[in-house]
Amino acid sequence: MATTCSVSITSDIAPGLGTINKSMTLTKAGTVTDLEETTGFSRRKLAATTAVDLITMANELVEPSDNTAAKVYVRNIGDGKGNIDKSQYVTISIGDTGGTPQEIGRLYGGDWLLMPLTVVDDKDVVAAPSTDNTVVLEYIMFFE
Amino acid sequence: MATTTAAVTLTSDLLSDNISVSASSTLMKAGTTADGLDMVDYGVIDIVTGDQFDLLDADNPSSSPIAGVMANKANKVYIANHATDETYYVTIMIDAQNVGRLYAGDWMFIPWGAEDANADIEITASTGTNKIEYALFHQGRTLDAS
Repeated sequence: MATTCSVSITSDIAPGLGTINKSMTLTKAGTVTDLEETTGFSRRKLAATTAVDLITMANELVEPSDNTAAKVYVRNIGDGKGNIDKSQYVTISIGDTGGTPQEIGRLYGGDWLLMPLTVVDDKDVVAAPSTDNTVVLEYIMFFE
Repeated sequence: MATTTAAVTLTSDLLSDNISVSASSTLMKAGTTADGLDMVDYGVIDIVTGDQFDLLDADNPSSSPIAGVMANKANKVYIANHATDETYYVTIMIDAQNVGRLYAGDWMFIPWGAEDANADIEITASTGTNKIEYALFHQGRTLDAS
């Protein structure tokens, strides 16, 4: 059972920059054994600027192994009805909404991210929309 | 307009029904639909075991009146670990907060807030020498005066 993620970045910013292509198979830490656990693919509709946990590490049914090879994918798909507003963003952070989560960056309409996670408790994936307008995030986490 | 497109394809057979997700995004300047990100810093560097390094520095010259021009924009960062030994990894941190590990062969693609001078993207290798490829797509920054 395998999970693969491929990225392709093309740009004409500079002549010769060309295309970045990279594919990875998600494996357990330090091994070539495939990751086997996932949250499943989810979507979440947000309509307020309040920061919320997109994924709460302490709530995972099977406690993930900390500091291993977990990955998360998140995409801002606009209002969920096919309308993507490039001026509206969701700030993605890692941490506890009760504290001061560390900002990763802003996902504008249509943007996506794929990144590793520690999955340590309280190192949750936090989302905070820039406006009260409806925005929908798609996301999935793979972990050990 | 400069055009940079980032596409991802994710497939998994962990569930009863296979997952196949594809997404493509044109990288735009913050809050616009007309102007694409038009600057890039690209490099490949060996990261050896030991010290923590700033792979990408969020701080434009702190004394400059235009410091922080990258802050809170639509910057995007790509990082790949081209090490081949599966036990090798680098730890990625932002402002000393542990984000996660990139094992040999792994890549990541994130927006980068660079929200203040401390929000550097930091990297530490666990073992051996890890060849790291990185690209920062942005809409402008200042250089340190020599």
